Amino acid sequence: MSRTIAANIRRLTLVIAVAFLVTSIGVGYWSLVAADDLNADPFNPRLIAAVRDRPRGRIVDASGRVLAASVRDADSYRRRYTDRSLAEVVGYASFKYGASGVEAAYQGSLIGQDPSDLVGQWRARYLGVRTEPGSVVIGIDPKIQQAAVTALAGRRGAIVALDPKTGRILASVSLPNYEANLLVDPAQQDTAWDQLNRNTDKPLINRVAQGLYPPGSTMKIITAAAALENGVNPDQKIRVDDPYQADRSWGDYFVRSSSGAHGDFDMSLAFQRSENIYFAKLGLTIGGAKLAEYAKRFGIGRVPAVDLPAAKGQLSNSGQLERPTLVADTSYGQGELLTSPLQMALVAATVGNHGVAVQPHYVMEIRDPSGGVLRTIGGGAADQVIRADTAAKLTALLVAAVEAPGAFAFGARIPGVHVAGKTGTAENPSGSPHGWFVGFAPAEDPQIAVAVIIENAGQGGVDAAPVGGAVMRAALGK
Amino acid sequence: MMRSRPVARLHELQLLVWVAALSITGYLAVVAAASGRFAWLELVVPAVALAIFGLLHIFLVSIGFRGDQLLLPLAVGLTAIGFILVERLAPGLLLQQLSWLVIAAGAFCVTILIPRDLSALSRYKYTWALVGLLLLISPLLPVVGREINGARIWVGIRGIAQFEPWELVKIALVIFFAAYLEEHREMLSTPPRRIGPIPVPPLPYLLPIVGMWLVAMLVMVFEKDLGATLLFFGIFLAMLYLATGEPFYVVVGLLLLVGGGFVAYHAFNHVAARVDVWLAPFSSDLRFDTGYQLTQGLFSLANAGLFGAGLGNGMPERIPVVWSDFVFDAFTEEVGFVGALALLALYLVFVYRGMLIALRAPTTFLQLLAAGLSFIIAFQTLVIVGGNAKLIPLTGITLPFVAYGGSSLVTNFMLVGLLLRVSDITARVRR
Repeated sequence: MSRTIAANIRRLTLVIAVAFLVTSIGVGYWSLVAADDLNADPFNPRLIAAVRDRPRGRIVDASGRVLAASVRDADSYRRRYTDRSLAEVVGYASFKYGASGVEAAYQGSLIGQDPSDLVGQWRARYLGVRTEPGSVVIGIDPKIQQAAVTALAGRRGAIVALDPKTGRILASVSLPNYEANLLVDPAQQDTAWDQLNRNTDKPLINRVAQGLYPPGSTMKIITAAAALENGVNPDQKIRVDDPYQADRSWGDYFVRSSSGAHGDFDMSLAFQRSENIYFAKLGLTIGGAKLAEYAKRFGIGRVPAVDLPAAKGQLSNSGQLERPTLVADTSYGQGELLTSPLQMALVAATVGNHGVAVQPHYVMEIRDPSGGVLRTIGGGAADQVIRADTAAKLTALLVAAVEAPGAFAFGARIPGVHVAGKTGTAENPSGSPHGWFVGFAPAEDPQIAVAVIIENAGQGGVDAAPVGGAVMRAALGK
Repeated sequence: MMRSRPVARLHELQLLVWVAALSITGYLAVVAAASGRFAWLELVVPAVALAIFGLLHIFLVSIGFRGDQLLLPLAVGLTAIGFILVERLAPGLLLQQLSWLVIAAGAFCVTILIPRDLSALSRYKYTWALVGLLLLISPLLPVVGREINGARIWVGIRGIAQFEPWELVKIALVIFFAAYLEEHREMLSTPPRRIGPIPVPPLPYLLPIVGMWLVAMLVMVFEKDLGATLLFFGIFLAMLYLATGEPFYVVVGLLLLVGGGFVAYHAFNHVAARVDVWLAPFSSDLRFDTGYQLTQGLFSLANAGLFGAGLGNGMPERIPVVWSDFVFDAFTEEVGFVGALALLALYLVFVYRGMLIALRAPTTFLQLLAAGLSFIIAFQTLVIVGGNAKLIPLTGITLPFVAYGGSSLVTNFMLVGLLLRVSDITARVRR
């Protein structure tokens, strides 16, 4: 009798021992395996605390203007930020709420443990002695940045401008933004943090890279690229009759022309008037598989290789284009598409750069305390996304979309310079349509590519085009 | 118990010297790391604590106690670690913790002096069940009941002292189950009928324990304490299995747990919140809200590495309520994975020792009692360490002996006292 109880006790003890083993493995996972990730997490207060009693490195822009610096505050150092329009880019380094933006992504460099400085890292970890931090230089051009801030004029939305040849980001505005100085002020940080997180407009996210929107008609650049490389003749006229459905199986579903068009369109006219039915037919002609392939080549549904946090968006909920109606809708930028302004700026940059996509980057270089360059950022792999001759044809089409009489994107014109561009008006669930503009200039040898989104703009793309024009004008000094 | 001539307890003494050496070293390391805020109290408290440990040993020697010599050093060793962590994380609570230790030591001695062979415990089993239930309900009563941090599991007088009665209930529950199952285990383990492989349990005999368990569960649901609910469930299943060896009960029990958990997730916000945090503590909407405590705990574990940051050199104070809910992560951050393994090993040795006492005990009641009490320590350790390491949802259960908390310390010292009594009885019977 009591012998069976003894057996039960032994078995229960064995179960307990196994459970202790499993628990030990779990503890080991966090303290050894996952440790590196967690120790580098921007929300981990330890990295910031480790240098609370010493200044962090400075963040400066291309002209040498200081954007973030440490100032002495009683017995510790506090960050001071100088340009609110770059709040989401520069970020914050708060003892309580962690870090974001460049403050987080380049945390190591800013506390004297730059990844290129192995000796410094070793000394910090094992001796507790930290190298004096230098500075992080971001590629923002204050002149273009200021033009972008002025052009957006306080409206909710985002502007990004970059160099199509190098990927250096020249301007980055995301509105609404926030006052980073409040988040590093012990007296105000809690209220500020609460308010920012309760704000449904989400001021903390960098809309340039993390905001996701239907691309609207700016998507037509990709549809056209896919068509041009799959044997479609851009001069061949296609009949447009509003409303359109391919066959009866679409039921009561129709593609609508924004101008209620009836007539024959070639690709150039379709770009100028942003004719949805033309591009829907184009997409159906080449098929969903080809359209999906080109969207992926241009980086839709993939996180851009940028050095700050970025969203990946999606081609569709499933990642495929199976249904004909979805192919048609995706062809003119609706359907289930979601993209960030940065992704669409890269689409324009790729066309301008003869079909070669470069990797975008906010930071240009890391400098040591005496100003010497420790390492430069950028110059990553460049991919030939479309053929150079396709890019040239697209450029001509996009110039016409800005400069031809009656073109929707006329607002982006710059006297004396050929501008290539495309507007977009994105239907969305949050209210009136978002206004898009993507483009580059000068068309024949682009110095700048831009993407503009204005959330719930009254007139859609027509509002966004002049904003893009103003930014490019500032870059070209016109 | 019968008084007899003093006996030497040399193993116990030797181990206690080790405990003293290690805890003084650890304590000094913490004090040294926190230079600049040192008070005389911080030296007096550990000295008094060590003296109490020594007095407990002298007490056992003086009454000629023949019980196990490992359990007391293990228990006071863990308690010493607890004091080091209180000094490290919340020095303001040192004096309070010391007062609770005095009470715990008293409770330990009273338990050791329970007359004769503990048969009173089994004879008055329904009395214990009733006392347990009254204790359980007490926090719901007006005047004495208190709700702290959303759980109504406290009784006390405002500003003087609070106590969590469920800590005592866990012992009452084990005593009742052990006594009841001893009486009826034959009926329960050899059911008269089987349908296929499934035994049909004799319902009338199961009724009292299922009823007792059900009431306990209901009360804990009202008092919103997940940890205690889980512990009672664990005790219930473990005791049934120990008495019957019937895996059927365990399977049904686990199914009930899964089903109950599912219902609770949908029915109770506080349960759903715990589970959501457990699934994704780092998600952007939780990490500074309900997930903050767990993410800070995991950052602590990550900072541990193999050998830890060194006592006093980590940042575990960033974890809210670290001294009661997250001592394990705090300890691990500063002594490393190696230290965490050592701590878990201490618990495993304690449990192993307790189970050994159970194996050798002369009666079924004493066997079930000792095994059930040892199971409590194992289960609590696993549930809270598992919660700290995100293996299971976090519950507000305490890490035995180490976590700050009076009710827990007092109850666990009574638990050690009972285990020692069982081993003492065994030694006397075998002589």
